Amino acid sequence: MKELALHILDIVQNSISADASLINIIVHEDTVDDRLEIQIKDNGKGMATDLLNSVKDPFTTTRKTRRVGLGIPLLNQAAQECDGSLEIKSVEECGTDLIAWFRLSHIDRMPLGNMAETIALILMNDNDFDLQYEHCFNQRKLTFNTQELRPMLEDVPLNHPDVIAWIKQSLQEEIDELYQQPIKG
Amino acid sequence: MTVEGLCQNNDLTLIAGANGLQREIEGIYIGDMLSWVMGRAQEKQLWITIQTNLNILAVALMADISCIVVVEDADIPHETIKKANDEGIPLFQSSLTAYELAIKLTGADVL
Repeated sequence: MKELALHILDIVQNSISADASLINIIVHEDTVDDRLEIQIKDNGKGMATDLLNSVKDPFTTTRKTRRVGLGIPLLNQAAQECDGSLEIKSVEECGTDLIAWFRLSHIDRMPLGNMAETIALILMNDNDFDLQYEHCFNQRKLTFNTQELRPMLEDVPLNHPDVIAWIKQSLQEEIDELYQQPIKG
Repeated sequence: MTVEGLCQNNDLTLIAGANGLQREIEGIYIGDMLSWVMGRAQEKQLWITIQTNLNILAVALMADISCIVVVEDADIPHETIKKANDEGIPLFQSSLTAYELAIKLTGADVL
């Protein structure tokens, strides 16, 4: 995929299919360690050991409609091509925790892509799960949590178009701030 | 033509998937980004790539590609060769670049 955000969207879809009520997306960019780490953690139904052991194999899928699944295999390949790797832990009835990391400066490392748009797209899906997003760039950090947002919205659903538009815009502003050069002096 | 017709081609070496030689070829697709190929390649196309990961076979199955040609002599892992045999997807290797091979195949009337 041309952007890592598309991989994130794909993996989060697995969490939603696993009936997660809380999904964590954590992006860490560290220019000193030259490392980009993406973690997606959920409290869904998890995987049995057999499935977990074969999940990087494209010929493994939980879908009934076709024999192959490429979400995790493609992310695994992308990470390996950038001197990184993918690790996945899962406990049945507890959840799944996936970490993919890349060498940040690797020439083949695709751009992260538009995370504000991606979070908005995920939230448009449905309303019956919460999402926490953490994004660090070196020492700077932003956090977003739908659990904090819901009480403020009162009766307005989280996936109301106006709410989504507001989330997207404010996340974009916060992400832009993450990357801004510190003011010297 | 069928994939079998390619076996006489001096630029190509059949590595695996001989049980799929009767598959029809209708055109050529070139690409290395698997998710892109999955959405863009047409069924029955011959696919030229430098990718050799096991994932290429999953893509070939999903896009209903007739055969895969790995160019520039990229190393093909054992597990990819084994899976190509299991799935009956012919897998060739060539020392040419994708561009050079595409020109030669066009001249040889594969299209």
